[in-house]
Amino acid sequence: MSVLSLHDVTKNFGETEIIRGVSLNIERGEKHAIIGPNGAGKSTLFHLISGLYNVTGGSIKFKDKEIQNKKPYEISRLGLARSFQVTNIFARLNVFENVRCSLLWSSGYKYSFWHLLGRQKELNEKTLEVLEQIGLQDKKLTPAGELAYAHQRALELGIAIASGAEVIMLDEPVAGMSLTEAESAVELIHRITEGKTLIMVEHDMNIVFDVADRISVLVYGEVIACDKPENIRANTHVQEAYLGEVVTDA
Amino acid sequence: MTVIKKSTVWICYLLGLLALPQFFDSVLAISIFNQMAIAIVFALSYNMLLGQGGMLSFGHAVYFGLGGFLAVHALVMIEFEILSFSIIWIPLVGGFIGLLAALFIGTFSTHKAGTVFAMISLGIGELIAASSLIFVSFFGGEAGISGDRTFGPPFFGIEWFQNLEIYYLAVAWVFIATLFMYFFTLTPAGKMANAVRDNPERAEFIGYSARRVRYITFCAAGFFAGIAGGLFALNYEFITEENLNAATSGRVLLSAYIGGLGYFIGPIIGAVVLTLMNSLLSNYSDLWMLYLGIMFLLTVLFLPRGFAGFIMMHQMVWAHGKIKSLVLPYLITGVPSFIFVIASVGLIELSHTDEAEFYYLGLNFDSTTAIDFILISIAVLAALFCIRKSLPQLRAAWESANEISDDDEKEAQS
Ligand SMILES: Nc1ncnc2c1ncn2[C@@H]1O[C@H](COP(=O)(O)OP(=O)(O)OP(=O)(O)O)[C@@H](O)[C@H]1O
Ligand SMILES: [Mg+2]
Repeated sequence: MSVLSLHDVTKNFGETEIIRGVSLNIERGEKHAIIGPNGAGKSTLFHLISGLYNVTGGSIKFKDKEIQNKKPYEISRLGLARSFQVTNIFARLNVFENVRCSLLWSSGYKYSFWHLLGRQKELNEKTLEVLEQIGLQDKKLTPAGELAYAHQRALELGIAIASGAEVIMLDEPVAGMSLTEAESAVELIHRITEGKTLIMVEHDMNIVFDVADRISVLVYGEVIACDKPENIRANTHVQEAYLGEVVTDA
Repeated sequence: MTVIKKSTVWICYLLGLLALPQFFDSVLAISIFNQMAIAIVFALSYNMLLGQGGMLSFGHAVYFGLGGFLAVHALVMIEFEILSFSIIWIPLVGGFIGLLAALFIGTFSTHKAGTVFAMISLGIGELIAASSLIFVSFFGGEAGISGDRTFGPPFFGIEWFQNLEIYYLAVAWVFIATLFMYFFTLTPAGKMANAVRDNPERAEFIGYSARRVRYITFCAAGFFAGIAGGLFALNYEFITEENLNAATSGRVLLSAYIGGLGYFIGPIIGAVVLTLMNSLLSNYSDLWMLYLGIMFLLTVLFLPRGFAGFIMMHQMVWAHGKIKSLVLPYLITGVPSFIFVIASVGLIELSHTDEAEFYYLGLNFDSTTAIDFILISIAVLAALFCIRKSLPQLRAAWESANEISDDDEKEAQS
């Protein structure tokens, strides 16, 4: 059963068509990778699903609810969390507060101004758990804006996964990391998405083939292939458009 | 342990407020303390907007003023026995009106932060200030409206004839308001206000409507500004259009900024400093507004995080016991700085005065000849020279004090 399905989704910026009729079904529990050349529209597709952009046409269903053109916070509350390609954190809050904030809504605090955060034992313990998972427990009092790049990326991931959403979308989670950093990040992604649905944009083919159950190839706003990794590797169409160069690089 | 320390700070705050009249009990002093109390609540409420929520407002006096006007009207109603309750509740009337106004205005002004919010706040400020001159029966026109706080049922025999009695009432309200504003910063809504200030886009992806978060902060700020307005009404027993216009809005921005937006205590410091300058300096010089402006400029340029930021800068050094190494360098730079300020003020005042004879710091100057101008100018330049000479030393001392702290920390960690 599909947890997320896109039907003929299009997006124009002015005259330019950036997404040109994407249809896609993501199954519950699936690990789905989206690959494609720079400027193909991968991030735009993420923005459409998560509500940052309105679609020009088509529909998006999440758990049987139409979510196209809903606000990001409405979609997030339904259980869809995401990270960003460009680090997008709360710079003046410290690491602990960053993660705790992303836990607030899912823990049911809403807009409460009658709970003192320091007294919420369960919430604070949960926050510490997430910090340990992303390896930032030593940095919990550092303002997020002062973290080193790799740590900011880890925090970016932490904010996305903290709420325990059942569908997690990661936009190039290891971009700009060193090899060892990327390795531990991938290990982390494996761990935290266990039993969950993952949709991930990633350029590194080794990581993609390691993580994904299924791969969609997006080229110029169109999905030209969507299949199991081994079939994608064998697909000459895909190799022409995209894979050939990358695989030999890697 | 930190819990004990925090409650100690609060007890000291309360005791300090209560004890002030024991040390200074002149009529002037009490009147200044009352102003301070009002300014503290007002500046703290402003910082909820700007420091905590990232909303730059040029019209915060609207909520202060509307609260104040309704509070004076309430006093009048008590006087004419239309209402009957003790005047200790008047600040709550102000707060309620501030909240109502914010509930309404916030629906469209908190849509965006940044320039849009700032412009709307400016527009609303002008609108209300203009209305206050149009709707004379409510606002009283230029003369404003006045009431009398001594009617109404006495409170444990207190009939509020003296400003000192009002001061103690104000302390109670200031303390409660400060406590609640502080608690607000520790709640989910308060913390999300910070998050939305930093990054409204991301806040929406963790389930929060940035607009709703801003709206809540905005309403809370309006409420506490109204409380301050109510205290104003109690203290002065009158209120005019001046108390809700752009100048008042500007002043509260100034005091929060000078004190330090990033710190809860910042606006308290700013409010105290500005009230003191306002009331003391204006007794001595017509030019106090000029000095205020210069001080604001210097703070923005050299202490971007305000007085509170300056104090907090020393926390690390203090914690590592290195503060002593800074005393001498501070003195070496501080003394010429002090002379520089004194001499510059002398020069400005001497240029400003109409009289031939001019007394300043017990000295007698002659403003008709160039000699005294030149003498003071030399003092200014000499002081400036000394400051410049001593600055590298101060900087080096500062750096070494902080460096050693870094080493200490590494040692502590290993
Ligand atoms: N807000 C916008 N307005 C106009 N054009 C845009 C906008 N956002 C993206 N585009 C364009 O849409 C195209 C797709 O961009 P997108 O960021 O989705 O690509 P991508 O596949 O994520 O690329 P990359 O691998 O570099 O991250 C690009 O050509 C980009 O210039
Ligand atoms: Mg992208």
